[in-house]
Order: sequence, then C-alpha cells, then structure tokens
Amino acid sequence: CPDGGTNCQMSTGALFDRAVKLSHYIHSLSSEMFNEFDERFTPSRRFLAKSVMSCHTSSLNTPEDKEQAQQIQHEDLLNLVMRVLRSWNDPLLHMVAEVQDIREAPDTILWKAVEIEEQTKRLLEGMEKIVGRIHPFDLENDVNSLWSGPPAAQSADENSRLFAFYNLLHCLRRDSHKIDNYLKLLKCRLIHESNC
Amino acid sequence: LFLYTVSLNGQSPPGKPDIIKCRSFEKVTFSCWWKPGSDGGLPTNYSLLYRKENDPKVYECPDYETSGPNSCYFDKAHTSFWIFYHIYVNATNALGSNVSDEESVDTTYIVQPYPPINVSLTVESGRYDLLAKWLPPAMADVQSGWLTLKYEVRLKEEKEQEWEAHSVGNQLKLRLYGLIPGGNYVVQVRCKPDSGHWSEWSPESYVQIPGGGKKTDLTLWIS
Repeated sequence: CPDGGTNCQMSTGALFDRAVKLSHYIHSLSSEMFNEFDERFTPSRRFLAKSVMSCHTSSLNTPEDKEQAQQIQHEDLLNLVMRVLRSWNDPLLHMVAEVQDIREAPDTILWKAVEIEEQTKRLLEGMEKIVGRIHPFDLENDVNSLWSGPPAAQSADENSRLFAFYNLLHCLRRDSHKIDNYLKLLKCRLIHESNC
Repeated sequence: LFLYTVSLNGQSPPGKPDIIKCRSFEKVTFSCWWKPGSDGGLPTNYSLLYRKENDPKVYECPDYETSGPNSCYFDKAHTSFWIFYHIYVNATNALGSNVSDEESVDTTYIVQPYPPINVSLTVESGRYDLLAKWLPPAMADVQSGWLTLKYEVRLKEEKEQEWEAHSVGNQLKLRLYGLIPGGNYVVQVRCKPDSGHWSEWSPESYVQIPGGGKKTDLTLWIS
C-alpha cells in the first residue's frame, strides 16, 4: 500500500504488468544461464548434437504457434501457465543444489539459479492472485508433480550428470519463454482487448 | 564405359551442400537457405528433409519457391515453436548424391524481424531537440502480444564516424536532446523480439537542426 493503509488493491492490469516483468526477467536469466553453461561445457563434450532432449513438462499440451495460442480459452491458458510454473518448484530446488556440486561452474550460474528459484516463487504467488481475481471459483489446484526427480545420482558419472543438468537448463529456458509469451498474450487479451 | 566417359569430362557426384541460415521474420513462418556444393557438371536436384522433435518421421520441405533459390519456406501450418527442427539437405545428380551436415534449429531463437517502418523526425521550432517516431514492421503482430519488440535508435551528425545509440524499450518514439544547431543528423531504428535477433537498421533518415548561422560566424571570428 502506498500510504500505509491496509485496504488498497492493485488493479488486475497492474498485477499483470508485474507478472510480465517478472516472467521476462526470469526468462532472461534462464537464457543467460543456459548460454554461460553451454559456452563453458559444450565445446569439449558436444551435448546437443545428437542427444535426445526431453523435458518433464513435455506431456503438457501447450500451444505451439500463434493460432493455437489464440484459439485456446484464456482460462485454459492461465491453467496451463500455472501447471508449468508449479511443475518447476522441485526441479528448481534441485537445480540450486546441483549447481553447487558442479566443480568449475562459475559463481554467476549459482547466483542466477538462486535468483530464478526465488523469482519463480514470487511469480507463482502473483499469478495465484491474478487467477483468484479472474476466476475466483475455478482455482484448479493441481499438485500432481510432473517431475520424477533427479536421475539416480550415485550411478551417474560426471558426464551424464552434466548432461542432465544441461538438459534441465534447456528445458528451463524453453518453459520460461513459453510462460513469458503466454502471459504477454493473456495480458493483451484480458487487459488491452487484444490491442497492445 | 559410360561412367568412364563422364569422369573424363570432369563430371562427378555433387559436392556437399551447406545450410547457411534459418530465419523467421514474424514468428509465424520461417525459412532456411543453403549453399549448394559443386554440381559435378551435371543437373543436380536438391531436397531439404527435416525431422521435428518428438516425431520420428522424416518430412520433405513443403515449399521450395517462396523464399527464392536454394531455400525452403515453412508456412504457418508447418511451423511450430518451442521445438527443435533437425534439418539436412540432399544433393543428387546422375553420378551420386551428397548430404549436408544436420542443423538443429529451435525456431524460438531464429526470429529476426524486418526493420521498423515509417521513421519520422520532427524538430520543434525554436528548439534543438528532435522527436523520432516509428512503427513496428508491417508483418509483426505486436497487438496480440504474440510478439514483443524492443527498439534501438542510433544517430550521428553526418560527418561524424561514431553513432550514438539509445535503447528505447517498447515505446514507438524517442526525444533526442543536445543536438548541434545547424547540424545534419542521420537516424536509424532497429527492433528485437524477446528471444530473437536484432533486425537490420531501417533506411537512413535525415534531418537538419535549425540555427547553424551563428556557429559559422564564431569560427570565422576566432580564426
């Protein structure tokens, strides 16, 4: 509250502005983190070339082009965003723990992992507020975890561990971009009547 | 005997083609271009083949015409985002065939729009500052929020070497201060989507700031 009162309320538009700023920031950090890691570790190990990448969120049927994104009901798109966001809670915690174990990982990667984990929590809280405003009686609280946990750590050698981490960073960059893109669509649709 | 004859003529299987780049101009469709290797002195056919992430099937390019020679155009029905396309080009002539390296393209990261359009420059009378305005490139759908662009403006006095750059965020105008009276300025604008690349610069726009007379007098007087 600007003047210390307790009864003030941000408009839904202002909440959306914040959410979009946050999702944009999270995606920038994820992108930077992926690139830093890629530059440092890929040249010697050639991860990407033929490897099969898969994300824990790939079972979610998210829009893959503009038409699909425009045809989906905004309630459903909001629910998808929430599911993707929630599905990252555990992997992000794992990521923060994992990055501390990777020797030769620069400090900037650790800092970004921690920051992304915190900001994603904030974004999720913000989005819960928005969803609560738009569909107060329709809060789908899906606690089903899509993530099946880290790969068995003991058996994994250094290389497959690094690859698993690389894969996770790739998925994070992709999902954070989806979330950011969907939120920007939703904001234009719900707040600006599709005239951003 | 036939093979012997043709090799005497310097004919050979085609050289290895090379995928040069893939680009999406508006985040709805995309195109890839390749550089052919040598044709071996024979008519050579090229085909672009691709696999999409999580789909084992191999598809052939849907349109070799729209984006010019040695290109493949993926219209909106063939374009998905947030997935990898694994792409390679086959070259075949009567003596054999050759295949390019495989390129893995994440379409999300190849968006590079056209430059902004309608760049206009206005000098307000009696002042030495400049208002630059522009519009997003015609094909970019920024209204729906599908594509979000940020802009950069650069300017220089015509005779200067160095540009002065200003990042603008997603606004469609910028006021520039502290310009030299009588100076001739060149201004260009470019745009960049969230996860893509900067567009080329818009064509140069020129403007003269009024009030140059006094400066010349002063220079003469000093010398």
